[in-house]
Amino acid sequence: LCRLTQVRWSRYNPSFIEPEVNKELYQKPLEELSEEEKQKLELKAVQPIKAAPPTLSSSVFSDPMISKFTNMMMKGGNKVLARSLMTQTLENIKRKQLEKYHKAPEDEKETIECNPYVIFHQALKNCQPIIGLSSITRGGKTYQVPVPLKDNRKRFLAMKWMITECRENKHRRTMMPEKLSQELLQAFNNEGPIIKKKHALHKMAEANRAYAHFRWW
Amino acid sequence: MLRSLKGLVCHPLKLDHGYALHTAAKDCLSAVVSQDVQTPSERPRTVFCTSENDPAKHTDHHEGRHYSIPLEEVKAVFPHGLPYRFQQQIKTFNEACLMVRKPALELLAYLKNSNFAHPAVRYVIYGEKGTGKTMTLCHVVHYCARQGWLVLHIPDAHLWVKNCKELLQSSYNKERLDQPLQASFWLKNFKTSNERFLREIKTQKRYVWGKRESTEEGRPLGEVVEQGLARVKNASDAVGVVLKEVKQQCCLGTFRLLVAVDGINALWGRTTLKKEDKSPVSPEELTLVYNLRKIMLNNWNGGAVVTTLSQTGSLFKPSSAYLPQELLGKEGFDALDPFVPIPVPNYSPREFESCYRYYLDRKWLQHEKGQRPPG
Repeated sequence: LCRLTQVRWSRYNPSFIEPEVNKELYQKPLEELSEEEKQKLELKAVQPIKAAPPTLSSSVFSDPMISKFTNMMMKGGNKVLARSLMTQTLENIKRKQLEKYHKAPEDEKETIECNPYVIFHQALKNCQPIIGLSSITRGGKTYQVPVPLKDNRKRFLAMKWMITECRENKHRRTMMPEKLSQELLQAFNNEGPIIKKKHALHKMAEANRAYAHFRWW
Repeated sequence: MLRSLKGLVCHPLKLDHGYALHTAAKDCLSAVVSQDVQTPSERPRTVFCTSENDPAKHTDHHEGRHYSIPLEEVKAVFPHGLPYRFQQQIKTFNEACLMVRKPALELLAYLKNSNFAHPAVRYVIYGEKGTGKTMTLCHVVHYCARQGWLVLHIPDAHLWVKNCKELLQSSYNKERLDQPLQASFWLKNFKTSNERFLREIKTQKRYVWGKRESTEEGRPLGEVVEQGLARVKNASDAVGVVLKEVKQQCCLGTFRLLVAVDGINALWGRTTLKKEDKSPVSPEELTLVYNLRKIMLNNWNGGAVVTTLSQTGSLFKPSSAYLPQELLGKEGFDALDPFVPIPVPNYSPREFESCYRYYLDRKWLQHEKGQRPPG
């Protein structure tokens, strides 16, 4: 439901600009900049800028998707633990893929993907549902109405399903990185419980097609 | 495997391209790959790799290069010696590659030129955390195994003085305590690595294990090891017998003996074990440690003793301590006193470059941001 007033307030004055983290923009010499970029730079010298949050970094290795995922895995503010679990997961994925790579014959080596970041992004993309359900009340009864989802909502659902699946359906003694790497590799190959959940959601949406006209947005 | 490059370089490193390498903690393992993917694979492997697989023939010329050990040899020579991260690396890359470094070459030169009629020389490898002491030890062990020496390799002496689930009172000497689990584990690995010697060496005394079991004089040492594995209660005494026999017979000159101990500072420190009345156990009261200390003395000849100090498993020692004086304590230093110290430094820029190229070649470094000049 869309609200008319903002729920989450920001203490900043609206004139403050977001900080620019991309190092490449600052490294370009002045001549290469186009007119509007020069204007923007001049404005930035004068206008106030918001403080950069600690999670935002200009390093080549930082990835917004990975940081979002780490934040969702975090419990009780323990970012150190969440980040170490994330790095161990990526290392596990890399090790499993490299083992397969080094044991495979020459012609199959091209098909095996070893980069854990690529696998992570592709797995989450495969898990994102296209259409979701939203509950709408009409005449006392609530109906599950199929609804197109925004990009943010799709990413959030994929990550949420991944984390809940790994937390609940594992043996007591398996470590989280191991289970996560297993699930990510399965999702990368379009198999596994999370993909099944996505298909189940799609089927429900297809089954409730009749109520689609209840949607007014 | 490099656990964190932060420990290796404390300042940005200039590679031959003149770019400073960005050092971060674990993320650095997936560091930059050069933009043109063709060149690393076309570059000849001889820059960081050598085909000389026999440690006996390694010279200064091979310094900084990796040499590979065939996997069957790894299983035979190192059933328990390699650090865990290295074992994972072997599993991932499907090959075991060790870098030839200066401290190892120095040790090998000393071993080649040593006079075996003189008492055994003790070498102590020391250095800061994560600099490669255990890997140097493994290099030396591989060399000695290739040369046909009898190798007594204790992978980590710290495991004998902490986390022991079962402590039995020793049947041989009332005041000492036995550790059946650790002793039997070590005996099993000793058997895999030195099978040929266990048939050749004969016992020189009669050993009585219990009312009905005894080993006669002149039986092969393999029987003592079998006895220790079969009757776990006598395992620590079996270890003691093996050490004594091997030390006595080495002086006769039929074979050379290498005693390789990792984490030797455990023998002279404190333990975290407690007796049943909650009083603390000192290391002399453990049979395994007592027998090991006897073999550390230099009253035998025909071999060498190579040991490593290790802070990572040590008990009650500050994490910044790495010098022999600090880690061994007064007692340990006096016991080991005339020893040859061998410092192991961090990777030099050349060694770092070689390691980096090896990882690139094995596709361990996967991140796809091209190498760029710093901002």
